[in-house]
Amino acid sequence: MTNRLLPLLPTFAVFSILLAAPTFLSGYWVSQLNYYLVYGLFALSLAIVWGYGGILSLGQAAFFGIGAYAMATLTKGMITPDITASILGVIFAIFLSVLAAFLLGIFLFAGKGVQGAYLAIMTIAVTLILERIMSNWYALGGYNGLLDIPPLTINSFGVFYEFWDAIPLFYLLLSIVFIVLVSLQILMATKYGILLAALRGNQERLTFFGYAILPLKLSVFCLGAGIAGLAGALFVTLDGFASPTLIGFTLSTEVLIWVALGGKEILLAALLGAFVTRYAENWFSELFGDFWIMILGCLFMISVVLFPKGLIATPLSYLGEKLKIRIR
Amino acid sequence: MSDILIIAMDALSHILILVMVALGLMIIFGLMGVINMAHGELFMIGAYVAVLTGQSGIGFWPSILVAPIIVGFLGFLIEKALIQHIYHRPLDTILATWGLSIALKQAIVLLFGPESQSIPVPLDMRVSLIGFEYPLYRLVVMGFAAAMIFGCFWVFLKTNYGLMARAVISRPITSEILGLNTKKINSWSFVTGSALAGLAGAFVAPTISVDPQMGLGYLVPGFLSLLVGGTGPFAGVLVGGAAVGGTNSLLTTWISPVAAQVVVFLLALVVIRMRPNGILGGKSK
Repeated sequence: MTNRLLPLLPTFAVFSILLAAPTFLSGYWVSQLNYYLVYGLFALSLAIVWGYGGILSLGQAAFFGIGAYAMATLTKGMITPDITASILGVIFAIFLSVLAAFLLGIFLFAGKGVQGAYLAIMTIAVTLILERIMSNWYALGGYNGLLDIPPLTINSFGVFYEFWDAIPLFYLLLSIVFIVLVSLQILMATKYGILLAALRGNQERLTFFGYAILPLKLSVFCLGAGIAGLAGALFVTLDGFASPTLIGFTLSTEVLIWVALGGKEILLAALLGAFVTRYAENWFSELFGDFWIMILGCLFMISVVLFPKGLIATPLSYLGEKLKIRIR
Repeated sequence: MSDILIIAMDALSHILILVMVALGLMIIFGLMGVINMAHGELFMIGAYVAVLTGQSGIGFWPSILVAPIIVGFLGFLIEKALIQHIYHRPLDTILATWGLSIALKQAIVLLFGPESQSIPVPLDMRVSLIGFEYPLYRLVVMGFAAAMIFGCFWVFLKTNYGLMARAVISRPITSEILGLNTKKINSWSFVTGSALAGLAGAFVAPTISVDPQMGLGYLVPGFLSLLVGGTGPFAGVLVGGAAVGGTNSLLTTWISPVAAQVVVFLLALVVIRMRPNGILGGKSK
């Protein structure tokens, strides 16, 4: 049992520090951490699809955005019948994202399927299409987006609670991210994770062994989309605002950078990649002004060339080698 | 009748410009296997060279000469510093050049500001053709684009360099064994592709709005026409450009530009999915 828990040790360490964070951080930083947690969840979704599924999707924000709009329209009561429960919104968001990923996945992967560079360019085109559509869909706010999206709310069994304050919200988000991360880590240690590794390594060989590729690819694509949809849904409740930028190209780029800088093949590294990049952005965009984006671009290039495994994952996996455990 | 001719002329000019952008992409992607996400930014820098020569009082025309040299040199630096190290990791070229495109875009924002620049049209007159009038400069651009496309085909299909480049592409190891300097040829191909982007950018600059975000608007249609046409044969880029650019231009006159683009992208996705080797690429293996 200890052997199975050992690879999760770094995760537990990181989350124990996070658990104590509100005691030594100001209210401002706790509310920033709430954003980071949601971005981290989003980064996890791409790491699953890209680092574990081997599907380089440059349009991951499509699913984040679909989740965001689903949550927004439902909790604002724009859908009939008028149900505005947060939990239903989240379920609806995940459902729509998974459905979209399923349909897109069948289109992209069925038969011989699209791979590599072709796939990357096609996913960009998909994101651009969605961004254009959302910018012109006036019933959903069009270019101006949707405002006044209610916060997360518990309203059942006689309990009514709205997550307005940063600290309760922080613990809620922290538990969600923790559950998702640990479930993914455990899932990736099962046979499913091994099959995914085989899929990345050599897709054709997996076919020769009698495995069907399509369900495997579809499942990981949908899993990632579901997590992205969840992240999107949580994001709009934080921000109170849904706009076409959430579905678009820029956010897809950003999440790619977080995951690539952190490390796509270790889930914890991808999560931390999002944290660290957002945190650095907070600091450096003040310090360097407009130069920061340029620095980020250069850092991204350097990391891809010199540390293809990621800036956080490389030391983490080195540590794992020393301790003879495989960190996930 | 003249209305239809104007629409056809607009479509033709759109197609020629798209093919001009896609040519550089094709050399770099189709020939070298490098996915250059910064190609749109190289095109943009070409356009900014035209802005710069216009503002400094030298006038527009020298930029046609200067832009390909500057952007080609930039391509040389990029190949030496970045691309060279990741030839064997094709998917990483996407990421690295994406980082490059972000850095270049932001560099332009820092130098010129985020707002769009405009360049006065150099030949500001209209000529009357059979039954309608058309801006002279756009005719010049069209003629030039056609010449450039022809020139590229000639270089890659008829010259010694073209032969070597194609040899390096189809059998890199064999070519190296036969004594071709594959590194040098790859480097030159990248420089050529970059220079073409710069040239196209400078030439088209007076007819478009030049701003730091413009690159993506040319990169994606360029790539789609490349994939729609098929990257293997050279004629593929012509067919793809005609299909993507022509459809877009014609749809824009019937429905809104936004809807036209959405429809064109969707159609392109379906074509690429159905024929992964492109319209001219034959059946997939």
